[in-house]
Amino acid sequence: MTFAILCRRAFSDLRQNFCAQFITTMVVSLSILIFAFFTLLYFNLQHCVDRFGAELGLLVFLSEDTPKDRIPSLYQKLTGLSEVEKVTYISSEEAFGRLEKFLKDEKEVLEGVNPQFLPPSFEIRVNRAVFQLKRIKQLAGEIDKWPEVSKVQFGQEWIDRLYVFSGLVRTVVVITGLLLLFTAAFVVTNTIKLTVYARQEEIEIMRLVGATKMFMRGPFLVEAFLQGLLGSSLALGVIFACYRFLQGLEAKSELLRGVNICFIPWQYTVAIIASSVLLCVLGTALAMRRSLRL
Amino acid sequence: MISFESSIIRLKDVSKKYSTDNVVFSGIDLEIEKGEFVFLTGSSGVGKSTMLRIFFCAERPTSGEIWVDGVVLSSLSNAQVPYLRRKIGVIFQDFKLLSNRTIFDNVALSLEVVGLGKKQAEQRVMQVLEGVGLAEKTSHYPLQLSGGEQQRVAIARAVVNRPSIILADEPTGNLDLQRTEEVMMLMEELNARGTTIIFATHDDRLFENTHRRVLRLLNGKIRI
Ligand SMILES: Nc1ncnc2c1ncn2[C@@H]1O[C@H](COP(=O)(O)OP(=O)(O)OP(=O)(O)O)[C@@H](O)[C@H]1O
Ligand SMILES: [Mg+2]
Repeated sequence: MTFAILCRRAFSDLRQNFCAQFITTMVVSLSILIFAFFTLLYFNLQHCVDRFGAELGLLVFLSEDTPKDRIPSLYQKLTGLSEVEKVTYISSEEAFGRLEKFLKDEKEVLEGVNPQFLPPSFEIRVNRAVFQLKRIKQLAGEIDKWPEVSKVQFGQEWIDRLYVFSGLVRTVVVITGLLLLFTAAFVVTNTIKLTVYARQEEIEIMRLVGATKMFMRGPFLVEAFLQGLLGSSLALGVIFACYRFLQGLEAKSELLRGVNICFIPWQYTVAIIASSVLLCVLGTALAMRRSLRL
Repeated sequence: MISFESSIIRLKDVSKKYSTDNVVFSGIDLEIEKGEFVFLTGSSGVGKSTMLRIFFCAERPTSGEIWVDGVVLSSLSNAQVPYLRRKIGVIFQDFKLLSNRTIFDNVALSLEVVGLGKKQAEQRVMQVLEGVGLAEKTSHYPLQLSGGEQQRVAIARAVVNRPSIILADEPTGNLDLQRTEEVMMLMEELNARGTTIIFATHDDRLFENTHRRVLRLLNGKIRI
């Protein structure tokens, strides 16, 4: 049996059983849609946490007796670190100025205070690509050991809390996603089973007139392949449309600006389509195994 | 592989029982010659259909050995069964037509399973359908036909790939006298071309005045 004949048989099958095939494809599509929606949620959550953490950055305070001429070389040293994206030097005077600005009307409390009383510092923005709590902690620890540095501060408490929270949400999303995946697999394989059983008589008759297993299986498998492919592509298409829609909202609304919604990474998109196809093909092969016994 | 020169079907001590108190037949020895035309008869429920089903491996015997066209059926694996069936054309008592396919496609199925495309098969299918008087109804669906017409579609499907054996299970059960005559003529014609025919029927008139061998099933045994 040539490939052309196989395809032609599959397509004439599709025409003849259009309704059942359509329903199966929709079931596949809806199952994948729910799962993909959760995946989208998951990646956006991850994205948000990472971005937020990265914006916090590090604050490196220098000891007061650091000679002024050491500043440029320290600056060089900091910018040389691979994790560091941007370094800003804040002198004692600048820090004092900021404090004055912050206090506004009550700045008289600073009267008579030496503008040098605040230590000079570096503000470090961490490279977004490498952002990881562990790495930042490590980095802070390293910088802290330099003799000129008196203290390294970063929103550790904040990040810690954020991570615990996001870890919790992530666990919930992953568990829900897995449950959805099982549900999807269950629903899809059972729908396929039903469509195969509905065509039991057809399979039986083909068998009786001398069809080989491959002859009977072929069109069913091609159909399953198409169902898996179309169903999941449709679902991801809908998710993509949602994503574009949300992006549009983001551009318009002040509140959402900067959230920077992201789509499911392409590797995962491909994986979702591939698993959907695999699920349909395997489901069909399994459902047919029973009806193909002599 | 043992090949028997003249017998195309051979049974040795064959029994079939569905359960201890449902014994269809037992201890049957039988030889059918290549090119023979035999009638298989007996009252309803005696096991005619079961016997035919055993010949094309739709059913396995409980015990005994069967050779079909030189092949021992008990040695046949599931994967080899389709190739045996392609040598055997079966006219089913209940037709077994695909209700969602046209008459043309139903008949073409026999050729399709051996890898012949519909285009290539077209001429042969049309020829056979003309032979059973259904050339005008090729694009109808089985349920749009009468019982007798459906039976003729079943006959067409069984003969279209020119099998060397035809197992006909009551092929005239739904036909009037004239159509019955036509089917008998068709069978005679195929037989004249060398096809072995096993014709199961309970209609005694069909073999009243022939010289053909008549196998009578009675109480699980064959009387000749
Ligand atoms: N799958 C089965 N399970 C149990 N018993 C069966 C099965 N198939 C057939 N039988 C029994 O085998 C016996 C023979 O059935 P079969 O269909 O061969 O009869 P038949 O001679 O073809 O009858 P008819 O002339 O009515 O077609 C019947 O008594 C039936 O009950
Ligand atoms: Mg019968």
